[in-house]
Amino acid sequence: MLSVGAAILAAVLYALYLDHLVVKQFEGRRWTLPAQVYAAPLELYAGLPMTLSDLEHELQRLHYRRTEGADRPGTYRLAGEHLEVALRPARFADEARPAERLTIATAAKGGIESLQVGSGHEVPVLRLEPLLIGSIFPIHGEDRIVLSPEEVPPLLPLALKAVEDRKFDTHHGVDPSAMLRAAWVNMRARQIEQGGSTLTQQLVRSYFLSSRQTLSRKLREALMAMALDAHFTKADLMNAYINEIFLGQDGDRAIHGFGLASQFYFGKPLSELDLAEVSLLVAIVRGPSYYDPRRHPERALARRNLVLRQMAEQGVINTADATAAAHRPLGVSTRPSGAYYPAYLDFVRRTLRRDYHDQDLTEAGLRVYTSLDPSAQDEAERALEHELARLDRQRKRGADALEGAVVVTAPQSGDVIAIVGGRNVGYDGFDRALDAHRSMGSLVKPFIYLTALESGRYNAATVVQDAPVDVKLAGGGHWTPENFTHQVYGPVPVVRALAESLNLATVGVGLDLGLPKVAATLQRFGLPQPPAQVPAMLLGAVDVTPIEAAQLFNGLANGGFRNPLRAVRTVISADGKPLKAFPLEVTQVASPEVTYQLDRMLVLVMDHGTGRSGRALLPPDLVVAGKSGTSSDFRDSWFAGFSGNHLTVVWVGYDDNQPTGFTGSAGALPVWAHIMAGLGTSSWNAPMPESLAEVHIEYPTGLRATAACATDIVAVAVPGDAAIPPRPGCGLPEATATQSAGVFERAQQWLRSIAH
Amino acid sequence: MPALADIIPRVRVRYLPVLIVMTGLSACALFRAPPSQPAPASTGTAPAGSAQPAQPPPPTPSPLTPVPPAQPPAPTPSKQFHLGAASSALVTQAHQQADSGDVGQAAATLERAVLIEPDNPLVWIELGRVRLAENNPAQADAMGRKALALATGDASAQSSAWRLIADALRARGDDGGAADAERRAASLATR
Repeated sequence: MLSVGAAILAAVLYALYLDHLVVKQFEGRRWTLPAQVYAAPLELYAGLPMTLSDLEHELQRLHYRRTEGADRPGTYRLAGEHLEVALRPARFADEARPAERLTIATAAKGGIESLQVGSGHEVPVLRLEPLLIGSIFPIHGEDRIVLSPEEVPPLLPLALKAVEDRKFDTHHGVDPSAMLRAAWVNMRARQIEQGGSTLTQQLVRSYFLSSRQTLSRKLREALMAMALDAHFTKADLMNAYINEIFLGQDGDRAIHGFGLASQFYFGKPLSELDLAEVSLLVAIVRGPSYYDPRRHPERALARRNLVLRQMAEQGVINTADATAAAHRPLGVSTRPSGAYYPAYLDFVRRTLRRDYHDQDLTEAGLRVYTSLDPSAQDEAERALEHELARLDRQRKRGADALEGAVVVTAPQSGDVIAIVGGRNVGYDGFDRALDAHRSMGSLVKPFIYLTALESGRYNAATVVQDAPVDVKLAGGGHWTPENFTHQVYGPVPVVRALAESLNLATVGVGLDLGLPKVAATLQRFGLPQPPAQVPAMLLGAVDVTPIEAAQLFNGLANGGFRNPLRAVRTVISADGKPLKAFPLEVTQVASPEVTYQLDRMLVLVMDHGTGRSGRALLPPDLVVAGKSGTSSDFRDSWFAGFSGNHLTVVWVGYDDNQPTGFTGSAGALPVWAHIMAGLGTSSWNAPMPESLAEVHIEYPTGLRATAACATDIVAVAVPGDAAIPPRPGCGLPEATATQSAGVFERAQQWLRSIAH
Repeated sequence: MPALADIIPRVRVRYLPVLIVMTGLSACALFRAPPSQPAPASTGTAPAGSAQPAQPPPPTPSPLTPVPPAQPPAPTPSKQFHLGAASSALVTQAHQQADSGDVGQAAATLERAVLIEPDNPLVWIELGRVRLAENNPAQADAMGRKALALATGDASAQSSAWRLIADALRARGDDGGAADAERRAASLATR
């Protein structure tokens, strides 16, 4: 008797325990929302040089569909030179915008002419909604987009009930008749073919239990389902099911809920799915791996059509609609959406970890607005993949594949607009853009010559000696660097030494300036660690990651102003409050005069020097500036360079640091040039500071000359008072300073002023 | 600390600007009519400033093109920056936001304008003004200098930039530097 009492007590306690567990878990679970990460929205305005097809491409990236009427949000139509768009409601970092109608008028020669919203109200500027690029999900890998009941199309619950749980509205968590029917079917088939579980039981299983179908688990599951049913309304349970259920796997990311599944399979919000598409998602519930529409399209199609039939049988839809939908293709996007940019998200995550705990990021429903430009990202991925494949064919190093990384920024704001961490872009592994520490090689040279210009003792035309160097090292050895060609070039102007990346001339200049000066310049531009002050530093024995190289060159691209590179612009809380902003910041780290002189020389790298071979890949009238970098024994191939509105850094090499056989010009430059050409970038055209003068000099000698008396003439910018000797026979007056004031003294005073 | 005015060498008054005596007040620059010039031709989807001054881009140096000797240097052509229609609307919106006390929103709105027209000194001056209102004179000063570097050839924009720098320096307690910057602003305003 006592033992029976004890057993009953134990059973009651167990039931109470399960009841408590279910309620606690169910209520708590609703709040774990991974942070959602958005790309930068595309700003549209009159004068923006986008064609109709560019615009259409951008709309399709956001999964807008072209239709006849463009009457539902997420659709558009073309009418002559006009594009009519039914915009979805959008949430930006600083405001929310309801769904509205947008008419974009374009000029016949391309370019946006005007923007109108509603019925003809002209607006000067308007943003498309930002693309969702991913979310920050926890280690166990569940990712979801949570929908409120209003965001769920009414068809979905009806379809789920018709296919999975016909008595959902009336049962108490379990459906004995369905279980018996399933048991009968399974017995006859001698294996488990039917679950017979209610939606509530499936929910319990997804929340609390593994999917192993043992009898004790079934019992526990049934008890918990009954407890859930007793505590919560059917509507709550249906909404929980729609947000909870597992619907696919993407690497180590588990796709949960219909909101994310809609994005994952179709790239658009659930509310925009048609009958065929909703039916496919309902079909996938039964076995996301078995019915994976990307890997097993036939199975998925057959089950989708079965779902359609069942819905018609139960009167949820009419037979004609079911038949029509059954003839539609699956319509699944080829690439999993939230297009997924692992290297970029990695940078976002690292930025956020400085301010947030992991749990805030994975559970608090934050919205993170970034600088990512999806079209630049696509361009960078495509160029790297394509060029590395080409280089691999040249190199033929067995099975080992070359690797690479790319960083693209908008230099004036410091926005990082694209990051590629390796050639397998979908792979969420070693992120070379952030973690590959490699010798910067000749990428260091612009900073040596910038230091030289700041000293006031050098300008672009100053003749320096490219002569053998022998430095006694502290340890007793000697350092005797050589030029890439193993030749010695003798007297050369600074502009040529930089354009052709002459090692001996540069080491001479660097030793004259002193290693501490050069190191200080690198740190001013953003090198995080002080470099080891050894002579080899002058040839780039300084390890940097591609993103650090981008930080350094961003200052050159931005006229001597450093911006902290940023991927995250704003973080918004789940209820729409701004939590954290990473505002645009600039700090002057070199004078505009010195930076302009250097940048003009970097333009000549492209036209005369080691960047020459990239010219053919670029539009002929595009002015760009850049520098190649090759570390010793060809282990690293770099190219860093910029236009008026883009800075791109490319690294190519092997992960195991083996020689590649490629210089910066042969390996990284073609990748760089393809990216720059594809970005549709605009020319570098910084205004020349008023104290500088443009002078034409003979490239080999640095002497002032004209086209009439010399063949190899380049234009350089020098201080207005620089005295540059003329080439004999050109009939030019002797060197005279055109300006009496000492520009150099001022530059030095300026340097002192920022040094304190 | 050296005179801040010395950072940018004194502009030679060799050629008087052809046009207009500017009023020289920074805010005035913001509400000029949009430019009649359309955006410069540029391909692709990169935002292009809609208010580029009518100035040729720097020559692409090429050894094949005959180039005339360039000494003495040609005087810097005078030019005048305007805000494009998009930036102009955003600046107006930012002013409204700032007036209603939401300086953070104003800054976010102006950042949009900077991203649309990064080469236009007038948007940087506006953003610098908001940084000043946000009690961040260091960034206000830096943005004034960024604007100054972009404003080459536009005395009015240079004057506005110096005035912002002056206000930023004053807010940082550097009255000497502020007076100096103020003097530069005034002398440019009368050109």
